[in-house]
Amino acid sequence: MIFSILEHILTHISFSVVSIVLTIYFLTLLVNLDEIIGFFDSSDKGIVITFFGITGLLFTRWVYSGHFPLSNLYESLIFLSWTFSIIHMVSYLKNKKKNYLNAITAPSAIFIQGFATSGLLNKMPQSVILVPALQSQWLMMHVSMMILGYGALLCGSLLSIALLVITFRKVGPTFWKKNIKKKFLLNELFSFDVLYYINERNSILLQQNINFSFSINYYRYQLIEQLDFWSFRIISFGFIFLTVGILSGAVWANETWGSYWSWDPKETWAFITWTIFAIYLHIKTNRNGRGINSAIVASIGFLLIWICYFGVNLLGIGLHSYGSFTSN
Amino acid sequence: MIVTLNAKILYFSKFHPQQSPLSRPSPYFCRTRNVSLITNCKLQNPQDGKSIAKKSTSSGSITKTISLSDSAPPVAEKTDGEIPGDRVVQGGGNGGGGNGGLAFLKRLRRKVLSILSNLPLAITEMFTIAALMALGTIIEQGETPEFYFQKYPEDNPVLGFFTWRWIFTLGLDHMYSAPIFLGMLALLAASLMACTYTTQIPLVKVARRWSFMKSDESIKKQDFADTLQRASIQDLGMILMGDGYEVFMKGPSLYAFKGLAGRFAPIGVHIAMLLIMVGGTLSATGSFRGSVTVPQGLNFVMGDVLGPVGFLSFPSDAFNTEVHVNRFTMDYYDSGEVSQFHSDLSLRDLNGKEVLRKTISVNDPLRYGGVTIYQTDWSFSALQVTKDGEGPFNLAMAPIKINGDKKLYGTFLPVGDTNAPNVKGISMLARDLQSIVVYDLEGKFAGIRRPNSKLPIEIDGMKIVIEDAIGSTGLELKADPGVPVVYAGFGALMLTTCISYVSHSQIWALQNGTTLVVGGRTNRAKNQFPDDMNRLLDQVPELIKKTSAASELS
Repeated sequence: MIFSILEHILTHISFSVVSIVLTIYFLTLLVNLDEIIGFFDSSDKGIVITFFGITGLLFTRWVYSGHFPLSNLYESLIFLSWTFSIIHMVSYLKNKKKNYLNAITAPSAIFIQGFATSGLLNKMPQSVILVPALQSQWLMMHVSMMILGYGALLCGSLLSIALLVITFRKVGPTFWKKNIKKKFLLNELFSFDVLYYINERNSILLQQNINFSFSINYYRYQLIEQLDFWSFRIISFGFIFLTVGILSGAVWANETWGSYWSWDPKETWAFITWTIFAIYLHIKTNRNGRGINSAIVASIGFLLIWICYFGVNLLGIGLHSYGSFTSN
Repeated sequence: MIVTLNAKILYFSKFHPQQSPLSRPSPYFCRTRNVSLITNCKLQNPQDGKSIAKKSTSSGSITKTISLSDSAPPVAEKTDGEIPGDRVVQGGGNGGGGNGGLAFLKRLRRKVLSILSNLPLAITEMFTIAALMALGTIIEQGETPEFYFQKYPEDNPVLGFFTWRWIFTLGLDHMYSAPIFLGMLALLAASLMACTYTTQIPLVKVARRWSFMKSDESIKKQDFADTLQRASIQDLGMILMGDGYEVFMKGPSLYAFKGLAGRFAPIGVHIAMLLIMVGGTLSATGSFRGSVTVPQGLNFVMGDVLGPVGFLSFPSDAFNTEVHVNRFTMDYYDSGEVSQFHSDLSLRDLNGKEVLRKTISVNDPLRYGGVTIYQTDWSFSALQVTKDGEGPFNLAMAPIKINGDKKLYGTFLPVGDTNAPNVKGISMLARDLQSIVVYDLEGKFAGIRRPNSKLPIEIDGMKIVIEDAIGSTGLELKADPGVPVVYAGFGALMLTTCISYVSHSQIWALQNGTTLVVGGRTNRAKNQFPDDMNRLLDQVPELIKKTSAASELS
């Protein structure tokens, strides 16, 4: 009983803190950035609190259920939002100045957290018993690596999508302002980072008072470069985890099912995702290639991750049907 | 001047002074050489060079042994690592005029190699494979032809064109063994090999063959470049070494690199992929498989169960081993659900001697002589009951409804005249080996009994005792010669993918009087590189006025 209470408290803490963080981000959009620069620090601290909240939550579940808390979709979603918060923290600690990743990780974390705790999965949160096949040390290795990989790849491909949006967006401040409201309602997660950049860009413009149209193009170019670089680095980082995750899964399958590869739908989709990001990395080796091609591939990868992560579970087919909606 | 210029083009003996096929003469290289010639003349300051050389011998720790070579091989370092268009195979096609056939073959080989190692082609192949795999998860695999006739009818095609004819022509009903899929994989493997051979391995040669830059201009052309006033190249070398760089110095020039492994690793990735493919082929052509359901207490011979999968499957001596199932048990959670299966197996050789005994469970298979035995399934074999002290009777259990993992078995104990047209009897149902549900002659619930409890259940005056529940273990046997190769590939792939994240950074510096020109580039962490460089350059101490004045005078 004490565990479930603790779990509830921790869920609420992490969710409300991340909501506050998100509110701060939105506020900075509306008000000039300089006046409330301190808010950015506090939002980073908020993510740290969220991180500890989710860590506590996962740990409680671990103690409570006696196995690594990654046995169903709810737990893996919580773990995914934990991954986002850890990516946020790492990028924050590595270079103290604010970078573009924060704009991706914080909304992603709240989005996932909200989805996990929403009524959609209300039957899932009880930690279930492990079927015989899942009782292995490989569970920890395989699933955590996969989710870490998904988290990093999602961040990277979101940056690529942001790059695409900025590239294909017509220049003009009034146009942005109009679009802000429209996009806001349409796609919270996705437009948010774009808004953030625009705001940042505007504030820089105000400070420097230099030629407007020239500097817009200049900052736009620089922003695209930055986004390109960061999405490349994060995707290569996530690719490592995805590789290790798939391979450890293959080794585990060979121990359990008697075959290291059985073309199970989930396996196949993970492999498709892997292939797509391998293509991304290969396009990136071409120095002359523009960032757009690779960004398009990365956005395809973004869809594929969701198909792999959710789509297969939705159908509840194949050997990986543990975390499906239908089985419980 | 010209003599000193010759001596200035230096090579370390441990690198490769000989001309590699890559450093073919090209206008590009010629141009670089011209540039260095001009600037060398301009920079020439023998005294300065000497004083620095003296200094470096006194400081000792920085410079490594340098051997001079009198000949001046062309400077070949400008080739950038990451331009896929830069193929070796395109170079000099002088196969010899007389031997026409051989020359043609050579040319053909080059042509094929250059087509295969083409990056867009490889990307197209990967896209195609991904699409085929996706299609394989959408189209149901391994169904009967009637299923496809119904699901993809000709008169109402999916998406307007897709009918069962497509499926059977392309073999999409067994996608992952279809010729089109395997053909794409083979093509990808060929591309991997061609790319490794023609692009990656030459790249390593280039990366290993470093050289100093001898002009301010070429250094300033790098991605990162900076000019430090009143700084010494020795201090820079020290600082770079402290940061993990390999530093080489000669006279006023410095070359340093870090993370060379990051350049090699992609080759490792490709080789690992090839290893996995080879292992997969071995598995597909040379393995044995089979599954068997054995009731507790019985035995079987491995060779009877294992059937060859491919045409290269050769049985081994271990196939004569007899497997005896000593015991099959199941563990349960408190809620009654199954937590684990255990089979106690004994292996006996031809003489009946026990060679191995192990209790296997779902994640813990048994390995013997190349054969692996997995616990994969279970079934209810029989129920031992006694009726009014008679027996025990062995009642065979029949599977009634199998819905995923939820199994249900039932049996029937006839009562009275077994030859009568409508036989009545006691029905017994079980979900697992733990508890048996008993129904009386009318089909009404009579009670639940656990085997081994010896507690009789009374139905119409008959005393039924359930003595034992005999389960049978579902075993999967496999002999796969590809697994070691595949595992080697897995290990290599994990390792090399991680190493590939490392960035290969190169730094050049040139002392020009008291001014130090520093330039560098890196292949992956491009955004962090300037920050790192600035941090390092901030540490370079400023020379005190006296020495700078002295060197300016000289």
